[in-house]
Amino acid sequence: MAAVIEIRFHGRGGQGAVVASELLAQAAFLDGKWPQSFPFFGVERRGAPVTAYTRIDTHPLGVRTSITTPDVVVVLEPSLLRTQPVTDGLRDGGLLLVNSSHPAEELVLPAGGRRAAVDANRIAVTHGLGSLTMPIVNTAMLGALAAVTDVVSMEALDRAIQEFVPARRPENQAAASDGYHDVRVVGGTLPFTPSVPRAAAATLPLPEGPMASESSERYHTADWRTLRPVIHLEKCTRCNFCWKFCPDDAFSFDAEGYPVLRTDYCKGCGICAVECPPRAIEMVEEA
Amino acid sequence: MAKLTIPAQELLRSGHSACPGCAPALAMRLMLKGLGPRTIVSIPACCWTVIDTPYPTTALGVAMLDNPIESTGASISGLRAAADALGIPDVTILGFAGDGGTADIGLQALSGMLERRTNAIYAMYDNEAYMNTGVQRSGATPLGAWTTTTPVGEGSHGKAEPKKDVMGIVLAHHPVYAATVNPSFPEDFVKKVEKARDLSGPRFFHIFAPCPPGWRYPSDQSIEIGKRATDCGVFPLYEVMDGHYHITRKGGALKPVREYFQAQGRFSHLGDADLDRVQAQVTADWNRLVRLESET
Repeated sequence: MAAVIEIRFHGRGGQGAVVASELLAQAAFLDGKWPQSFPFFGVERRGAPVTAYTRIDTHPLGVRTSITTPDVVVVLEPSLLRTQPVTDGLRDGGLLLVNSSHPAEELVLPAGGRRAAVDANRIAVTHGLGSLTMPIVNTAMLGALAAVTDVVSMEALDRAIQEFVPARRPENQAAASDGYHDVRVVGGTLPFTPSVPRAAAATLPLPEGPMASESSERYHTADWRTLRPVIHLEKCTRCNFCWKFCPDDAFSFDAEGYPVLRTDYCKGCGICAVECPPRAIEMVEEA
Repeated sequence: MAKLTIPAQELLRSGHSACPGCAPALAMRLMLKGLGPRTIVSIPACCWTVIDTPYPTTALGVAMLDNPIESTGASISGLRAAADALGIPDVTILGFAGDGGTADIGLQALSGMLERRTNAIYAMYDNEAYMNTGVQRSGATPLGAWTTTTPVGEGSHGKAEPKKDVMGIVLAHHPVYAATVNPSFPEDFVKKVEKARDLSGPRFFHIFAPCPPGWRYPSDQSIEIGKRATDCGVFPLYEVMDGHYHITRKGGALKPVREYFQAQGRFSHLGDADLDRVQAQVTADWNRLVRLESET
């Protein structure tokens, strides 16, 4: 491998993708390397897709750009494989490491790529990191990364967790160790089918004036959610509270005045379920 | 279907990039329900500038101007002057700014706009810290609150200073109308906005705006937290018109402030002695407000 290794992290706000990129850089520094890490400056909202970068060299780094042709892509949230172009620019022979309960064989990759999978959700929950619906998987993923690449040593990672993780250090060390031992990697080739065509962003029509005039409804924020409201209409009194308190305007009404969830936009905050007077709304895990 | 208690028209579009459970997003939805489509919104650097975009999309069904963080008061003054010069008097000019951009960085421009008697509405949505940049304390952060710049640990016990009284600062300028609103009480919120819309001159709203990640509570609790804030007297609902105070929600005896504080992670380090002090201050502030109502 070249002297410079470029790693791109994809996660959701709240999962620890940015901290993962920083922690990896700290560990690489402890290994005597020259690292840098930085997040993509975008919408770092809880649940929103987040991108972060780590670049590691054996010599001082001059380059300061974001990473567009990574050697390694680490995906902290499996549903992002469907909605984000996570493998964009991944180099020939590069590695895709995914948090997934599915085996690595099922991951689609560019020809010649290596792929690895680890069930980091299970590891995080086992060690009480985050919650069931939003496990904090970053240290488990870094342990897996240490196992399947020579990017960073497990010793340095362990030390970096001890020194820089703000809370629950023993649990995070244990999660990294589990990730190190549980990760499965396969080589081989599979046809590459990017989930989002790369040209999509480049072909947006330029607006005619200085005004942004397209509706935000283009963005289907449903993919932020981990929980989904289910309306039990037999209990519904048509009081409109769900509609009234929704920050995402994710309810409409049918002809009889019963609420209808606009599933493309609900972010799963759960306010409707809490505010519903007859308790007719239940939050269930997103399938 | 039960009758709608707030207007049906939606001028906030879905697909915006607010966090799940964001009260500032709901606040904008209610604000535009009250003001209607003949509105131009000026938004400085704050959460809302990100919620509305990315370019070329907008989450607002009305025209929006993006401006620097210190400039909301100046920009709505300019928008009003331009509308007047172009002969379009029937448009409401709204500045919609965070607490950092109002109580700290934009205070001068706000003061100038009020003092010049600008015919516009300035709304501060108060999530009590610089949330868009990751929870740094602002002048509007309350006493004792954890933020990333007022940590909890050795030598630091959350924010050491009390919250800045922005309503007090605004009222010292004698605006035509000023009111506190809370998205947990949508009918009161929209009623006040409709009232302000039909007035002329400088008007101000202080919007209570709970923030799940910044205040450290689950996203489904935003409305509950807001109800407790008002019912405990931490954020009383009132309006001041031509100097006359009117409390718009009086639910009998105030509930203990503990019910509000203990629901939020940012206050979880506060002990009984801390909460007793807070209770004494909140009770004194409430009594002062009741007195002002009876005296004016």
